[in-house]
Amino acid sequence: MYRFLRLSVLLVGLIAAVGSVAVHAAQPLTTADDLGPVVDQPIEFPHDRHAGDAAKGGMQINCMYCHTYARRSNVAGIPPLQKCIGCHRSIESVRETPRIKKLFEYWEAKKPVPWKKVHDLPDFVRFNHERHIQRFVFAQEKPVQEACGYCHGDVKTMTVARRQKPLSMGWCVSCHQKDHPVSATSTKTTHGPNDCWQCHK
Amino acid sequence: MIENSFNRRDFLKVLGWGGATVALSGCGNTSVEDGREYVTSYVETADYIIPSIGTYFNSTCAQCDAGCGIMGRVREGRVLKLEGNPDSPINSGKMCGLGQAGVQAHYNPDRVREPLLRNGDKGEAITWEKALQLVSEKVASANPGSVAFLTGGVSGHVKVLLKNYLDAIGSDQHYVYEAVAPSVVRAANKKAYGVEMPRLRLDRAKVVVSFGADFLGTWVSPVHFSRQYAKFRKGVNGERGVLVQVESKMTITGANADRWLAIRPGTEGILALGLVNALSAAGLTVPAEVAAAVKDYTLDRVSNDTGVSVEHIGKLTALLKDRSPSLVIAGGAAEGYAHGSQNAAAVALLNQVLGNVGKTVEAPASMPFPQMAPITGNRSSLQALNDSIAQDGVKVLFNCGANPIYSAPASMNMKESLKKVPFKVAFAHYMDETAMEADLVLPLNSSMEGWGTVVPEYFAEGAQLNIQQPLMEKLHPGTLGMGDVLLALLKQRRPAEYSGYEDYYAYLKNAMVAIKGALGGENEDDDVFWDSVLSQGVVKLTSSSNALVSSASAAGLQLPPPAVEDGTYPLRLIPAVTPNMRDGRHANEPWLQESPDPLTTIVWDSWVEMHPKTAAKLGVVEGDIVEVASKNGAIKGQVYVYSGIHPDVISVPLGYGHEAMGRYSKGVGANAFKILDPVFDQQTGELAMYETRVKVTKAGKRVIVVKDEGPAGGNQSGRRIALRMASGKVNLAEEV
Repeated sequence: MYRFLRLSVLLVGLIAAVGSVAVHAAQPLTTADDLGPVVDQPIEFPHDRHAGDAAKGGMQINCMYCHTYARRSNVAGIPPLQKCIGCHRSIESVRETPRIKKLFEYWEAKKPVPWKKVHDLPDFVRFNHERHIQRFVFAQEKPVQEACGYCHGDVKTMTVARRQKPLSMGWCVSCHQKDHPVSATSTKTTHGPNDCWQCHK
Repeated sequence: MIENSFNRRDFLKVLGWGGATVALSGCGNTSVEDGREYVTSYVETADYIIPSIGTYFNSTCAQCDAGCGIMGRVREGRVLKLEGNPDSPINSGKMCGLGQAGVQAHYNPDRVREPLLRNGDKGEAITWEKALQLVSEKVASANPGSVAFLTGGVSGHVKVLLKNYLDAIGSDQHYVYEAVAPSVVRAANKKAYGVEMPRLRLDRAKVVVSFGADFLGTWVSPVHFSRQYAKFRKGVNGERGVLVQVESKMTITGANADRWLAIRPGTEGILALGLVNALSAAGLTVPAEVAAAVKDYTLDRVSNDTGVSVEHIGKLTALLKDRSPSLVIAGGAAEGYAHGSQNAAAVALLNQVLGNVGKTVEAPASMPFPQMAPITGNRSSLQALNDSIAQDGVKVLFNCGANPIYSAPASMNMKESLKKVPFKVAFAHYMDETAMEADLVLPLNSSMEGWGTVVPEYFAEGAQLNIQQPLMEKLHPGTLGMGDVLLALLKQRRPAEYSGYEDYYAYLKNAMVAIKGALGGENEDDDVFWDSVLSQGVVKLTSSSNALVSSASAAGLQLPPPAVEDGTYPLRLIPAVTPNMRDGRHANEPWLQESPDPLTTIVWDSWVEMHPKTAAKLGVVEGDIVEVASKNGAIKGQVYVYSGIHPDVISVPLGYGHEAMGRYSKGVGANAFKILDPVFDQQTGELAMYETRVKVTKAGKRVIVVKDEGPAGGNQSGRRIALRMASGKVNLAEEV
């Protein structure tokens, strides 16, 4: 008797849990831009100031100067704090601004900045930055900001980065189905892999 | 045996419904956590550290005393997986399952995390300052000679610091205990060859006859011997080596042998001498003195005593005579008797008569720094501690790496004995049986968090010094390395000598740089030398070796006739040392509990292994719970019927049945150490592990044995994968 009671409680709990998660996570199968949540970061990092066009007061720094791991690893990586300090140590003009002061506080305490993750994928998806950067930036010689922007949107106009693309499977596949040249000089075309195990492994 | 009405079938039902529910509701991106998860970057980092790509650091495996070199894959500051270090001559880039489980020793949830001081039945967390203060007070108030250390095998710089600390307080009480160690064979080798453990060259032998040495599974340096075994099987000039294993209970080495001979327990020496006699009769030159001593070991008598057929002895003799060099090894099964030394001496004699000394039995390299050479443990040392405690000679006892309350035979009554020591300090990784009795428990770093040097017991080639370096930051801030603690204690005693070293790392680096000339770095800058040592993980030393004694002598060899059967306790108990569990110190690493025993495929429990004939006689089948009773106690276990065991023998694996230690080991299986009879080898005083007589009675219940091989067991369910042949039909001459 107790056994069945226990079973049914479990069962109801399970359905309720799965159901509620499913309601929240249901995503439309669309490739249109889909703005992610606004994320509060410990330091409001101005991407526009660092990577933006010179005409708009930006420094036009290459994305991969800071996100240096993108071309050689699965993850693009948040730059180590020493990278920020490396430049800002000699930029006297902004040294006393609130954000930079906060940055140096972290540095002096030797504590990493607790950034929040803006672009997240489910744990059952393996996305490899290196493959995409090698293909688009190095083989096809696409501008870096354009290549990164395929998935990350127009980060150079943002302050704190915000997700712009749906990053859903249908959205990934919509691009993987398109033909594109294998390299900048080649006329041969190909498309991204469409095998399940390329990402789900 | 989990008592729960929620059984497997019900669980599957729920799982099925649950799965259907998930399928109906569709898979959303349920694990996406935009803006909620933290992504932490490094503050400072080296160029070679790339997130999501592993970096390998060399270190040394600490799971057993073989001292294999390892490489730990480290990613995002965490050690994930271990591989063998290809530069280490011991394991040449290979590793065993026990070594792989090392990460579970490191990440184990049951590790001791802060110093604990006894308060009644409980341990109260205290700071290290207070703990070390307490230790120095207790040591200062005790008579200097009454401070004792009980350790497992130690070597390297920790051994040096330990010796210096004992010298500083003026005590000579250092006891080294290992529950499972080839102590008797070491002593017999010392007599026969002049060294405790010669370098065995399986790779050069054409025939290997092993008297119960499980060199592929658990004996001395199994990974190294496995590599040599592979070469031996390929053979010199394409002539494949032949392995004959003589033992009463099949080991993983026996399972690999061309011929497995089930021998009546305790008669290994008789067979060895019978082989000497048969070889002499077959025309091998044997010294007259030896020939005279073995002339009574006729084929018929030996066959009658050992239970090995005349035909098999004849084939083995022919094999040994035809194919030289051969190699004969005495292992646990030969040494585990009251006449174990005699058995081992008889086996050594066979080696000498066959002319193997100098060919397959070589002199080992000697360690140029004897102060760092390993001390090997044995049971007599624990006995000496026990005697010292009985005479009131121990006031403060430090225990590190030994768990005598679990593994010493019941007759020694270690638990009661240790109660007489007023202050017991345990350096502990887990709260094991011995740490539970301590007054002060000091938590140690795992081998992946601390610094150290290790000198292996068995050198594969020349002498070597292994480096142990942290593969990651400490998991728990409250743990310390053994070296750090000893250094802190030494600073109080000899400040002039030691106060200059901030920590054990500083001491170690300084000590290594000081001898860099002998370590092959005389022309290098200190830092360059140190960095290269750390990156290699192994330092090869120039060493010499002395010649072995090769003259055969049968003087003093006295083998008793086979033991008579005991009416009340008709069976003999073989406590099996299994590749997963060994002596039980790693029982709390769930991979080792979960990976099937190689012979029985049983998981998460101990078992009582017996021959089908014995099982039929007792009226039991697989899964019956039986009681195994000796004069010293009784344990219960599930029956496992297996034909790779002598009918006069039953076997229970060691390492199970912990009463403490942690969630994965406590109460799993039964502790076979506790029912061993106190019978000792007559020459060395070591516990004769195979001398226990037991009776087996059915204890009622029957369970389903949880094992990997399926209900049909070795019968292969009629699939004819590995064909069996009756032992009488195998022609050894064809195998050769």
